[in-house]
Parts: sequence; structure tokens; C-alpha cells
Amino acid sequence: MRKCFLIAASNLRRAKGQTIAIIALILLASAMLNLWLMLSLDYKRNFDRNHERLNAEHVSLALHCRDREVLDYLAGILEADDRTVQYTMEDALCMPGSFDYNGGQINTEFVILEKEAALNRSVGRVEIVEEGGYTDGIYLPMLYGMDGSISLGERKEITIGSNAVDYEVCGFFNSIMAGSHNCGMSALLLTEELYGELEEKGYAPASTLVSVRIRDREESEAFEAMLKNAVSSHFPEVGTLSNSYELVSSARYISQMICSGVVSAMAFFVAMIALVVIASNVINDIQENMRSLGALKAIGYRSGQIISALLLQFPAVAVLASLAGIALSYWVFPAVNAMMISQTGIPYETHFLVMPFLLTVCAIGGTVALAVWLSSRRIRKIDPVIALRQGIKTHSFKRNKVPLGRTRLPLHLALAMKTAFSGMKQNVTVSITMMVLSLVVVFSGLMVENVIVDMTPFINLIVGEVADSCVNVNVRAEEAFLRMMENEDCVEKVYLYHSMQVNHADQNFILVATMSDDFTKVNNQEVCFQGRFPRYDNEVAIAGKYAGENNLKIGDEITLTVDGQTENYLICGFTQVSNNLGRDCLLTRDGYERMGNLENLSYYCNLAAGTDIDAFHERVSRQLGADVNATINVFYVVNGSASVYVALMELLVAMVLTLGGAVTVFVLYLLVRILLNNKRREYGIMKALGYTTGELILQLAASFMPAAILSAAAGLSICAWIINPLTALFLRGIGIVKCTFTVPAGFITWAGVALLVFTFGMSCLLSLKIRKITPVALLR
Amino acid sequence: MQHVLKNIDLQLYEGDFTVIMGASGAGKSTLLYALSGMDTPSLGKITFGGEVISGMNSDALAVFRRKSCGFVFQQIYLIDGMSVMDNVLAAGLLVNRDKKALIQRAGELLRAVDIPEEAWNKFPAQLSGGEAQRVGIVRALINSPRILFADEPTGALNSKTGLDVLDTITRFNEQGQSVVMVTHDMRSARRGNRILYLKDGAVLGECDLGKYICGDRARHEKLSAFLEEMGW
Repeated sequence: MRKCFLIAASNLRRAKGQTIAIIALILLASAMLNLWLMLSLDYKRNFDRNHERLNAEHVSLALHCRDREVLDYLAGILEADDRTVQYTMEDALCMPGSFDYNGGQINTEFVILEKEAALNRSVGRVEIVEEGGYTDGIYLPMLYGMDGSISLGERKEITIGSNAVDYEVCGFFNSIMAGSHNCGMSALLLTEELYGELEEKGYAPASTLVSVRIRDREESEAFEAMLKNAVSSHFPEVGTLSNSYELVSSARYISQMICSGVVSAMAFFVAMIALVVIASNVINDIQENMRSLGALKAIGYRSGQIISALLLQFPAVAVLASLAGIALSYWVFPAVNAMMISQTGIPYETHFLVMPFLLTVCAIGGTVALAVWLSSRRIRKIDPVIALRQGIKTHSFKRNKVPLGRTRLPLHLALAMKTAFSGMKQNVTVSITMMVLSLVVVFSGLMVENVIVDMTPFINLIVGEVADSCVNVNVRAEEAFLRMMENEDCVEKVYLYHSMQVNHADQNFILVATMSDDFTKVNNQEVCFQGRFPRYDNEVAIAGKYAGENNLKIGDEITLTVDGQTENYLICGFTQVSNNLGRDCLLTRDGYERMGNLENLSYYCNLAAGTDIDAFHERVSRQLGADVNATINVFYVVNGSASVYVALMELLVAMVLTLGGAVTVFVLYLLVRILLNNKRREYGIMKALGYTTGELILQLAASFMPAAILSAAAGLSICAWIINPLTALFLRGIGIVKCTFTVPAGFITWAGVALLVFTFGMSCLLSLKIRKITPVALLR
Repeated sequence: MQHVLKNIDLQLYEGDFTVIMGASGAGKSTLLYALSGMDTPSLGKITFGGEVISGMNSDALAVFRRKSCGFVFQQIYLIDGMSVMDNVLAAGLLVNRDKKALIQRAGELLRAVDIPEEAWNKFPAQLSGGEAQRVGIVRALINSPRILFADEPTGALNSKTGLDVLDTITRFNEQGQSVVMVTHDMRSARRGNRILYLKDGAVLGECDLGKYICGDRARHEKLSAFLEEMGW
């Protein structure tokens, strides 16, 4: 063992630069691997920990009434169901509403609770995470206080229905099931006096919030459907709003899922590059030190001892580097965590995680050991005598690649090609690196084009339908509204686009049904990615993700229920919108009305460019009065929701580009070092013959280019081709089955050229060490 | 700082076969590297055909070497990954862009040193030591250098192949090629017409042997006497 240590120590001393570069690569790979494992293994658990800590509900049901008969009926159902563990019924005020946030607008269903009552809830306890000692005012979910766009003490205008109220922000709270606009309902807490005032004003109907804990949280969606169905079938006039553990736990971790997906891909690729580099380093080491290996064998070292030294050297370095990488991941984690909390709105305390630590160390150490063992097996075949002759028998003289007498290439390019064609390991490493960089470039291009510069494609994919304005009117005012729209010059298009919850009776699942009179009028025709939109009242288009999960095909018949009325529908197409995490469907208005009546309707309006949308809303509200339930400036709402994703994407793009660049530099550094070591003698001879340093640098850098150009071209083409399906794979969890982002061919082409220029320039820069090779050193 | 070469004031003449001799560590090779622009002296001046080369930077020296110098090394130093012809052309194409003419000249030179055409596509490891060194001489002469510098060209060869190499160099010198050769072998030194003897970095003595004539006993005795006088 001591002998192995001696050889390993000698190897490390000899190749300090290579060791440092390998350490850097492994450090990056293990940092990302650990980060990914922390995000993917513990973030969702954190939701569950908080869920348990606050004894949060598994199903929330907001009833737009406080009628004793309804509540007794519901209590009877809950008590009779053996799945129920605990439930509470509390007074609340429920109404759709909005407030400005982060340059946009948050538009959601508000569940307004009295602060002290909320803090003392036995199920679904709320905790204050920040408050400023103000006596009267509003408490908002902590999500909105994370980025500083809403601060303590500021006065915040909240629109409840069509009425605006103005409160001082007293603090921020954490609510697991109603702490974000992604939850289906968002809680707001008012101090006692203000709550009483709002209740008296009657801006929001007096409601009841039913919170239920059940035995098996995996049944939360089915339980939710059962409860809603029970209420709507007995009391069809009672409006309801609900969410479930399964919906909320997925909805609040969309960003974490995207982020950990990207980090995992990068970790995998960097680890792969590190392994290839280590393997080629080992092979190169053997080649380079053939004479030393011969000498070691000649003085009695066994092959096993020499291989053991390598197995001691590289995995030991890898394990140490992975420990540093894990430390690095904990160092950057607070920044990642802050970003994640600003998306999830659930506090997460950084703590040491044993499982990610062990998995990272074992995965890195194990794969490095395997790579070293596989690439060092040839040591067993080395004959000491041949090795002492510098492995002369190991050379292959089968082909003279790029003969200078016959090639049409200029001399230096021809010599570069000779180097390129004789270094397969070098070409493989360059190719893998370029492939990874291609993916990084294409991903970045896709995100820049579709999210950062112009977020329309992203919004179309995530939100589904976007127009300038949305007006929610009572059904009795529908005709008056449409007449008014006909007379409004600024209105270019108006169409019904209204969502209601329906129960998919076959699976007992709640789906969000969006209906329209005519789906050919909707702006985003790509929502239906397979088949077609429903045209007749017996047709339904359902979410592709949901269809896949339940093995439903176009042409199948499904049963939907609203207010106790059940009807059959024929599936005519598949849709994708992430708003409801793939739990949605499209129906014609007539189709919906076969089951239930509509009390109010959301109409989407496309307005002429330059129209003052707020002034338009004022006119509508003035003319139709109380029949207008809500007006929404869709752009602001979308901007408010989407801006967090844009910020996340900007960060991810910056991160992957920086990382990609750093990995390329490390890989090129190692390749240049290996080439310089291998060709030191050759460069000495060439300098003696009259080659200048500049000519040799250009030759060396150019020798990387055939593999770089081919793999970049192939990589960029393949990645451009697969990036949409790959993105869809990452986004499948939020209901995206088919991604239709624009692949920016121009950006990718120029980025590819920039990538090659970067590779060439960096190779030249790293090859400057050729200056130190002197012909005279060769001769002495 | 310790100087390897001291107070050397030396002129080399076109067409000469100058031999530098001396004991190990006398500074023979250092003088050869300095003269050929392979190394830069820390003090003093080296002028080549009126051009001062001692102040040139490494790239200018490289250009000077490719145009004006040819090198034959003791360890031969052909490039392993290149064929015989490519080794020659790698040096030739640096100066001469006329590939056709260059290939023709390379062929003539290779034939002249008895490297048959079937060996031109072989790699250095497939050649004998003598063959490899003769290829080295062709590579050195491909650009018709003003001086051929040879550092112990027979040092790594057996006596028969060493003799062949010396014959080759001598033949080119007879055709007008200036040669500067470092050796500590008297048999090799005999080929030169001007012998310089170095000791402790200084030129201790110089001997004019006149034109080489095979089997000239008087010439041999003159060299022996000179070397004896120098304490060799």
C-alpha cells in the first residue's frame, strides 16, 4: 500500500496543472449534483414538513354561504366518511380580486380571514413571518414580501370584486394551502376591525371555509371532488371554490422543478466531461510515462500496484474535490434558496442533508474509480522492455494522414489536421464538450427568445389564452354587454372564455373546464395540440397530461358532472395549459350548459393598439354597474405571474452559460496540457526547423477545430431539433405535453460561430505555454 | 553569473567545413547553438552575412533559422508521426511554397543519400539509424541553407552507418555547402578543412587542414599533432 501511495504522490506532484483542472471540473459537477439532490430530495419534503407543522388541511372548500343547513349537511358527510381525520368550518369572505405586484397584477380568488382567527385555526394554522407593529391593516402571503416589491407599512390597494379597498401592510404570513396565487385560492388576513368593516360593506359574500385533514393525502383530489360534488348536487345555487394537497404541492414547486431539471442536466453533463477528461488523462499518462512504467515494472512493481496507485490517486482527488464541491453547493445554496422561496412562498431553512452528501460522494468517487479502472487496464499488457523503449511497439504506422505532398491545405492547416486526425481521445473529449455546450446554447437561445426578450410564446404555453381585457359580467347583463362591445370602436374582438370547475365522474377528479361559444375566435390556437377544439355540445378537449395519466384517447367518451347533473362527452382533442397543472378541459358553452347554469361569464376582449385599458374598464363598469363582477387588465395579471419565471430564466441562462464557458475552459486547458506534454519534443524540433511560436499555437488551436466544428454543427442541429420535446419533458409536471417554443435559428447559428471563435481563441490563449518550449532545451 | 563561452572572436567562411572540437563541457554545442540562432548569447554580438542575429527575438530567429540554417542532430529528431517525405516537406514548405518543385528537390536529395522511393512513406521508427540520419540531412538541406549545422551527427550511429553519414555531409560540402560540425570524434573531424579547438569556453587553437582527400595520411598526422598540442 505504501508503494501505491508513493506512486500516487509522485503522479500528483508531476501533473499539478492537470490535477487542479480535474479538481475544478469535479468540484463543479459535485456542487451541481449536490444542489440538484438537495432541491429534488428535500424541497418537496419541506412542503410536507411545513404542512405537518402547521397541521395544514388536505382539502380546502370555500362555500359562498354560511347557511346552517348547507354546513350541517357537509358536516354530516365529513363525519360519515372514514377518510376524514379532522375538519373545521370558519367564517371567511371569498371573492375574486387583484392587487399590483412586481410590475404586474396578481389576480386570484381571495379568501379573507380575520387575523386572530386564522392564527388560532386548529386545521391549516397560519403563522406570521414578519410584521411591523402596525395595529390595523392587512397581512399578505410572505411570497409577496420576498422581493421587496411590497414592504411593511406601505398602503396597498386591493380590488375585491369590482371594489377597491386600501389597507396598510401590517405583515406577511405563511399559509401552506392558501399562501400563493398558484394555490387556486389565496388567503388575506385583516385585523379584527377592518375585517368587520369589509364584511359590513358586503364587497365579498359571507362565506365559509371548510378545511379538512384526511388519512391518506394521496386521495386529496378524489376527496375534494367528492365534497364539491356533494355540495353542488344538493345545493346547486351555492358557489364553491376548492383546492387539494396534491394540486397545491405540485403548483407551489413548479420553479423548483424547472430549476432542479436544469441543474441536474448540467450536473450530468459536467460529470460526464470530467469522466472523459480523467479517462483520457489516464490513457495519456500511460503513454507519456511509458518508460517510467517500464522502469517500475522492471524493478518489480506489479501491474496491480501501478493500477492501484491510479485508483488511489484519481478517486481520492475526486472524493476530496467532491467534498469541496458539496461545501460550494452549501455556499451558493442561500442564494438559490432565496430565489426558490420567492417562487414557492414557503420558508426553507438550510440544513445539512446526509443523503445528498452520501449520494454525491459515492456517485463521484465510484464513477471516477470505474473510469480510471477501465482506462488503466492496458497497464497489464505493457511489457517492461517495450515500455523502456518508449512503447515503440504500441505505435501504429498504418496510415499517413494528410500527407503534406498531396494535400491542398496550407502547411500549418495540414499539420493541424495531422494532429487532429491522430488524436481520437482529444476529438472525443472536444466533441462531448461541444455537444454539452450546444445544449447550453440552444437552451439559452430558446429561453432568451421565448421568455426573456418576448415572453409571448412562454405565456401562450403557460397561461394558455391571453387578450387585452377580461370582463366578468352577470349572465343577465350579457346582451347589454355584447351590445356595448359592438358600439365600442376600440374593441376588435370579443369572445366568451369562461372557466368553471367540473367533476370527471369516471375518475372522481376535479377539472377546470373552460368554455367558449366559438373556439376559432380564441387567440391562442395552439392550446389544442392534437385533435381539435370542441365544436358541438357533446364534445370535450381534455388536457394531454391528464389523458395520458388516465389512458384516454381521442374518440373516447368521458362523463362530467356539474351540480349533480351528469353528461357524456366525446374527446375531440388534447390541450395543454399549465395554469391548472394539466387538470383542465375545454367545452362549448352549450356543452357546459347541458350540465349546469352559468351565473356570470368572463368575456375576453382584444382592443385596438393604444387603447387605455383601464379607461375602457371604467366605461364598462359605469355603463353596466353592479352587473360587472370584475375587470382584469390581462397584460398586468400575466406580467405579475410571469415575471417571476422571467427572473428565474434570466438567472438560469446566466448560470448555464457561465458554467458552460468555465467547463470549456477547463477541458481545453487539460487538452492543451496533454497535447503540449505529448508534443513537447515535436514542438522543440519544429522550432529548431524554424517554426515560430505563433505558427505552432495556431496549429495546436486549429487541431481542435475539426472536432469542434463538426460536433458543434451536429450538436446545435440535434439540440435545436430535440429542445422542444426535451423542454416538454421537463415541463410535463405542470401539464405541458408538447412544447412549441420558437427555436431561434439565427441566434443559434451566431452563437455556434461565437462558440467556435471562443474555443479557438481560448485554445490559442491556453497554448501560449508553447513560448516556453525552446529548441535548445530539446538539444541539451 | 558563469559564462559558458568567453572572449570568442570568430569568423566562419562560406564553403568551409568547420569542425568544432573539444572535451565534454568545453562549450562546443553552446557555440553551435549561438552561431545558428538556436540560442541567444547573454553578451556579445553574432553577425550572419551582415545581419546581427544576437539581438533578434525568438520569432525572428525562427524565421532566420528556416531560411539560412539546416540542422543535423545527434539524436536525429525526426518527427515520429510524420513519414520520411513529410519530415522533409515540413521543413521545406516553410520556405518554398512551390510544392511541386519542392517534392522534386526532396526526391533528388533522398535519392542522393540512398533513401529509396519505397521508403519515402515510411515512418522514422521503421528506418535504421543511418537511414534516419540521412533523412535528417535531407531535411536540413531541403531549403538550401547557407550553413549546415551538425551536432555530433554520428554520435548515435554505429561506425559503418556513421561513415555513410559523414560521406554524405562531405559530398554536400564538396558541392559548396558550408558546414559547421561539432564532434569529439577524430575520424569525423578529419572531414573538415578548418578545425577549432575549444577549452573552457574559449577557442584554444585553430588548424587549417585544407581540402579533404580520402586516405591523405599527412592531413591525418597534422590533425593528430594539433589535437595533441591542444591537450586532447
